[in-house]
Amino acid sequence: MVSPVLLIAVPLGLAFLIPLVGMASRRATGLMPILACLFNLVAVVLILPAALSDAIVVRIGGFAPPFGINLYAGPLGVLFAGLIALAGLAVSIYALGYIRRGSIRRYHLLYLLLLVGANGVVLTGDVFNLFVFFEILCISSYALVGYFGDRGGLEAASKYLVQGAVGSGLLLLGIGILYGMFGTLNMADLAARIGSSGGMSVFVPLALIVSGLGVEAAIFPLNAWLPDAHSSAPSPISAILSGIAIEVGLYAVARMVMTVFGAESMMAFLMFLGAATVLAGEMCAFAQRDVKRMLAYSSIGQVGLVLFALSVFSPGSVAGGLFQLLSHTLGKGLLFLAAGYMIYRSGSRRISSLNGMASRMPITSLVFAVGALSLIGLPPFAGFASKLMIVGSVLARGGTMLTLLLGAVLVGTLIEGAYLFGVVQAIYFRKTPAGAEGGRAPVSAVVPMLLLAALIVVVGVWPGPVAEALRAAASDLMDRTAYMGGVLP
Amino acid sequence: MSFLESNVYYMGALGLVLVGLLVILVRHNLIKMIIGLSIMDTGVNLFLVAVGYSRGGTAPIFSRAASDPAAMVDPVPQALVLTAIVIGVAVLALALAMAVRLHGHHGTLDMRKIRELRW
Amino acid sequence: MRALVALAVLAVIATGLVLALSDIPFGAPDSRVGPHYNRSGREDTGAVNMVTSVVVGYRAFDTLGEITVLFVAAVGLGALLHRTSRPGGGDDREPASMVLTTGCRYLFPLILLFGTYIFMHGHLTPGGGFQGGAVIASAFLLVYLGCRGRRIGRGWASSVESLGGLVFVGLGLAGLAAAGHWFLSAFLPKGTPHQLFSAGIIPLIYVAVGLKVGVELTGVIDRLMEDTQ
Repeated sequence: MVSPVLLIAVPLGLAFLIPLVGMASRRATGLMPILACLFNLVAVVLILPAALSDAIVVRIGGFAPPFGINLYAGPLGVLFAGLIALAGLAVSIYALGYIRRGSIRRYHLLYLLLLVGANGVVLTGDVFNLFVFFEILCISSYALVGYFGDRGGLEAASKYLVQGAVGSGLLLLGIGILYGMFGTLNMADLAARIGSSGGMSVFVPLALIVSGLGVEAAIFPLNAWLPDAHSSAPSPISAILSGIAIEVGLYAVARMVMTVFGAESMMAFLMFLGAATVLAGEMCAFAQRDVKRMLAYSSIGQVGLVLFALSVFSPGSVAGGLFQLLSHTLGKGLLFLAAGYMIYRSGSRRISSLNGMASRMPITSLVFAVGALSLIGLPPFAGFASKLMIVGSVLARGGTMLTLLLGAVLVGTLIEGAYLFGVVQAIYFRKTPAGAEGGRAPVSAVVPMLLLAALIVVVGVWPGPVAEALRAAASDLMDRTAYMGGVLP
Repeated sequence: MSFLESNVYYMGALGLVLVGLLVILVRHNLIKMIIGLSIMDTGVNLFLVAVGYSRGGTAPIFSRAASDPAAMVDPVPQALVLTAIVIGVAVLALALAMAVRLHGHHGTLDMRKIRELRW
Repeated sequence: MRALVALAVLAVIATGLVLALSDIPFGAPDSRVGPHYNRSGREDTGAVNMVTSVVVGYRAFDTLGEITVLFVAAVGLGALLHRTSRPGGGDDREPASMVLTTGCRYLFPLILLFGTYIFMHGHLTPGGGFQGGAVIASAFLLVYLGCRGRRIGRGWASSVESLGGLVFVGLGLAGLAAAGHWFLSAFLPKGTPHQLFSAGIIPLIYVAVGLKVGVELTGVIDRLMEDTQ
C-alpha cells in the first residue's frame, strides 16, 4: 500500500533534484514537474479506494497524535491531491512550450514547489503544519506572478506579496492564540477541546485565522490582489492560481471553520459574504475589456459561489460546493490556457482582438468555448452538474433567507453567462480585424487543453461517480466526530 | 493596572504587531511597507514566545542530566518561532528582490506612482 | 482619510486581541504537549536540547517545510533578479578600511568554525541547523564586504543546496523503508545522551540543514550584491 506521505515527499525530492538536473540540461528540468504529477496521479489512484471507505492517518516519525504531526488522507484530501496532480500535469505540459524567457530552471522549480505546498495543505492534520505548507504555496506564487519581470507582473506580485504576508501574520497570530488557549496544535485534538468549551471565547482566533486564510482564498474584501495577480501572471500561472491556489485556500478555510472550530455562526456570516462576492465579482467581470482580467474577476465570482454553497452546510450543498470547485479548476484552468495562446498569437489582451479567432485557431477556440460553457453551467458539461447540485440542495434546505440569497447568486450566474457568451460569440461570429496575426497553438499546448476539455465533458456526462466520491468528501469535512475518532487514539 | 502589568510582554508584542500593520496601511513607500511587515513578523514571534513562558521556568535543555523537566518552559512555541522567523526572512528576501526590480523599472518606490494596472 | 480608516481597523483588531488575552494567562501555560515533550524528549529522540527534539524529532515535518520555504524564497529571488545581460561598469564604491580587510581574512575561518560548531551540537546545546547556517552566511557576508571580488561558486553552491534538501528527504524515506512505516522515524541508534554522536538522525539532519541554509543565504546575499553593482 502506498503511503500518502509519498504524495508530498516524492515531488519534494524531485524538486530538490531539479538544480542538479538543470546543470546537465536546462530543458530536462521541465520534465520533473510532469514526472511528479504523474507519480502523484498514480499514487492517488492506488490510495483512493482505501481512503474513500476509511481515512488513512499517517503518523510522521511514528509519534502518536497529538504529540506528533499526522497526515489525514481522507476522501477529501486524496481527491484534492488528485485534482492538484491533474491540473498540475496539464499546466506543466503547457508550460514546456510557453515558458521561453527568464530563468526556466527556476520556473519549473517554483512551479513544482507550489504543487508540493498545495498537496501539503490538503493532506495535513496539524494546524501549524498547515501554516508552513500554506506559506510554501503562497511564496512560490508570489515569485511566479512576477516571473516575467515586466512592469505589470512585478506590480501585481508586490501587492500580492504585501497582502498575502499580512494575512500570514494574522494567521500565525491566530494559531498562537489557539495554542495558548488549548495547548495543542493537532486539528483533531483542537476540535475535541473546542467542542467542549466553544462559543465566544474562540471567536478571536477564529476571526484571525479566517482572515489570514481568506486572503489566499480570495474572500471579499480580502481579494484586492486577485485581479492584478491573475491577469498579469504568465498564463500557465494564472491557470494554476485560479485553478489550484484559491481552491486550496478555500479548503483551508472550510477545514478550519467546519472541522476544527465547528463554528455555525461564522458559516452563516460566510454565506452572506459568499453571495456578496458572487455579485461583486461577476459585475466587475462584465465591465472588463481585457480578457485575462475578466477571467480573474470571474474567478472571484466562482469563489463566492463555492463559499456560499459550503456555508449552507448541508451534506448536499457541501458536496455541491466541492463539485463546483472541481469544475472551476478544470474550466478556468482551460480558459486561461486557451486565452494564453490566443493572446500570444493576436498580440493583445483586449477582447476585441479575439474577434474571429475561430478561423485562425480552431482547436483553441473550441476548447475555450467548452470551458466557457462549462463555467456558465450548461449541459453536458461539468459546470452544469455542479450548479444543479448546489441549487437542488439549497432549495431542499428551504427558508426564505436562503432562497433570497440563492436568487442573488443566480443573478450573478446570469451575468457570468452574459459576458462569457459575449466572448464566445466574438470568437466565432465576428470578423477578424484587418491585419491580425495568426498561427496555431503548439502541440505542447493542445494536448493539455484537450485533456482538460475531455475531462469536463466526461464529468458532465457521467457525474455519478464523481458526485458519490464528493459526498464522501463532504462528510469528511462536516463530520467532526468521525474526524476526531479517526485520528485520536 | 494589574492586567497591564501582568500581561506586559503580550502588550509589547501585540503593540509591535499593530505598529507594523499601521505602517503597512499608511505608508506609500514599498521599502517602508516591507519594514512594517518585518516589524509585524517580529511582534507575532515575540507573542508566540511569550505564550510558552511559565513563571520561574528555565530553558528546556538538560545541561545536567538531573535537571527537572517540570521546571522548564514549553519548548513548542520556541520551535514554532524558529520556523516562523525563517519564513519571515524568506518573505522579506523575496519582497526586497521585487523592490529592486520595481525600482529598476519605475525609478521610484512610491506605490502611488506605480499604479499602471487599472481596475 | 486613509490613516483614519487604518486606525479604525487597528482599533478593532486591538480590542479583539486584548479580549483574547484573558484566556491565555501569562506565565501559566496550559499546554498539553509541552510538558510531555520535556519529560519524554530524551528517551524518544535522544537529544538533550528539548527544542531540538521538538524541531527535528516530533515536528520534523515542519522543519522539512521550513527548509522548503527558504529554498522557494532563494530560488524566487534568483528568478526575479535574473538578467540576460549583466550591466558592465566598474566598482565605484569606496574601498574598505584596513580593519575590515584584515579582519575579514582572519575572522572568516573562525566564524565558519563557530557556525559549524553551532549546527553540529544542535542536539546538545542551544543552536541548530538554521542558527548555524545563518552564522556561516554572516561569515561570507563579511568577505563580501571586506575582501571584495571574491564570489561563491554558483554551481557548487547550488549543488550543496540540492544535496542538503535531498539528504533530509532521503533520511525521511529511508525511515519509511527501514524501521517501522513512519516517515522520518529515528531509525538510527539513539546512543547515550550528551555524546556528539547520539540522537539518531538528528545530527545528520542538522548538518544537512546547516550547510544548506548557510549556502542558501550566502547565495541570496550574492545575488542582491551583484545586482547593485
